[in-house]
Amino acid sequence: MTTRRFAALSLPLLALLGSALIRAQSPTSPPPSQPTAATPAPPSQPSEVTLELSRNQKAKIRLAIPKYAATGFTGAEGSAAGAELESTVRRDLDFSGYFEIQGPEQLSGLTLTGDLLRDRDVYRSTGNEVLLAGDLREDQGKVVFEGRLFDLKSGQSILAKRYRGSFATARRIGHTFADEVIRYLTGGAGFALSEIAYVSERGKIKEIWLMDYDGGNPRPLTGHRSTSMSPAWNLAGDGVAYTSFVNGPPGVYFAEVASGKKRPLVTSGSLNISPSFAPDGGRLAFSRSVGGNIEIFSSDTGGGNLRRLTQSAAIDTNPAWSPKGGTIAFTSSRAGNPQIYLMDEEGASQRRLTFEGSYNDGASWSPDGAEVAYATRRDGRFQIAVTNVVAQETRVLTSGPGENESPTFSPDGRKIAFTSRRSGTKQIYVIDAADGANVRQLTTAGSNDMADWSRPK
Amino acid sequence: MNRKALICLILTETLFGLYGCPKKKPATPPQDLNVDTTTVQPTAPTAPATDVPEPVAPKVDDQVEDRLLSADLQVVNDELRRRGFAPDVYFQYDEASLSDETRDRLSKNADLLRNAPQLTLIIEGHADERGTNEYNLALGERRANAAKDYLTSLGVADSRLRTLSYGEERPVCTESEESCWAQNRRAHMVVTGRANS
Repeated sequence: MTTRRFAALSLPLLALLGSALIRAQSPTSPPPSQPTAATPAPPSQPSEVTLELSRNQKAKIRLAIPKYAATGFTGAEGSAAGAELESTVRRDLDFSGYFEIQGPEQLSGLTLTGDLLRDRDVYRSTGNEVLLAGDLREDQGKVVFEGRLFDLKSGQSILAKRYRGSFATARRIGHTFADEVIRYLTGGAGFALSEIAYVSERGKIKEIWLMDYDGGNPRPLTGHRSTSMSPAWNLAGDGVAYTSFVNGPPGVYFAEVASGKKRPLVTSGSLNISPSFAPDGGRLAFSRSVGGNIEIFSSDTGGGNLRRLTQSAAIDTNPAWSPKGGTIAFTSSRAGNPQIYLMDEEGASQRRLTFEGSYNDGASWSPDGAEVAYATRRDGRFQIAVTNVVAQETRVLTSGPGENESPTFSPDGRKIAFTSRRSGTKQIYVIDAADGANVRQLTTAGSNDMADWSRPK
Repeated sequence: MNRKALICLILTETLFGLYGCPKKKPATPPQDLNVDTTTVQPTAPTAPATDVPEPVAPKVDDQVEDRLLSADLQVVNDELRRRGFAPDVYFQYDEASLSDETRDRLSKNADLLRNAPQLTLIIEGHADERGTNEYNLALGERRANAAKDYLTSLGVADSRLRTLSYGEERPVCTESEESCWAQNRRAHMVVTGRANS
């Protein structure tokens, strides 16, 4: 028997989130009638709740989510926003892999009174440990959402959050609350607010796009009407470096997410491609042609102070700066075919990381810096593999046809997004980083490739 | 100044104003201007005559006007090909080394280019769709430069040749089969203008 402690977050919490359109508060029980009250009363629940789980750490938390109560909705737009918020929370929690969820469908057979103290044994009768109760209201053209968690064993409220925002923020409110639930119940950071930069090909044009981590809200970041590729988030998550042919030869450019402003970073010479930011945000690694020989360089983030890091006569390309700094993974064909190598930030201590597979490229670090994911060719087909950089142990996460390439870790390291042609066109999928399970397709429109998941905030 | 305007200016100076700049590209070179070709000299001096092999025997209409002096780059490219210029040379999978056949083709190209020293070229490097887009960009750059290096070793001035890798982004053939991939693993040479001296 293991004991899991659920540390309570300090409440109340008043947070301004992102656009400031969403206000998160911690209502007491019963909820105050004025949702915009700036200073909710302190919570009555104890600051720490202990749930005993009679199984191993990897077992899922059994979570009941009955249909949210919805009141005051006057039109289709508000109702749709409420429904989207509700489904967003559900999908986020489901996708996280931490929960075994009983939703309205599974709970429909239970006889519930609506009084939690009476109902909690009913919820527990089908194995649930925690209850998530949602309350949606429309108020003055805004959606107001109150989400609560109850420990079904003790009957205590263990988390309560209230959000208010325009209908357009419904998805973001849902993502925000889902991350709160995950953080509270698991101690781990959620990633429901993270974003994925990727390449979308429509017609013959490739632009850089952004989408929510779950594939929602896709939107173009560039409009060069050219070929742009290899997006790489900066550490702050407010900008993306990328390769583009917009001015002829392939060069490295940068786009600010909020303003959409673009600027060239490194465009001298015939080829500068595949940017990757250092974790301190101060430098950028990329590959560059030196008289036709492709070498790894670094520069400052303005493209100045070029420093050459590799010297081999073969192709050296596709650098990936480790999240803790100190190491750069890259691809080199110095041993006859493309393989993943490691070196320090100044180019010293170059050593080969991959030895299996005839073609390995596209290194992407796990957020803790322990592992590198990449595309590996096995039996003539590209698959996604992960190698531990210390133990040098490798696992292959995909199988079969589909040309699986271009992996990128989620901010919590538990998922990997990648490109596959398994459905005919290139699309972006997500799998569990541990074993390749729980495949989910994120994109459907056009041809989509080269995902780069924003880093942990 | 854009490239066409530049060419036009050079050409105009070259022909002492006899050959006006067309507003639109002519589909074929104008042949009714009765330009006396004996007065036409290329602006750039050619390589030492003793080293230069005789060009392919010109056809009759070439004696009226050298199409390699046309303002229309399509005409120039077509004329070069008619004289034996190979616009494409091909590579093995994941290779940027030159086969004997590729060297032969590039050697013929070098002959033609030494005889038309005013022409500048872009050499595009391409790859087939296998492998990653990013690695293929590097591979295309290597292929373009392999072709460029061979041409310069045969006497074509380095300053006339520019490389541009497209990797697998501009395939000429889009089927997923070897016959198609083989066509995409190439260095593609196109005349893009005239040297300014």
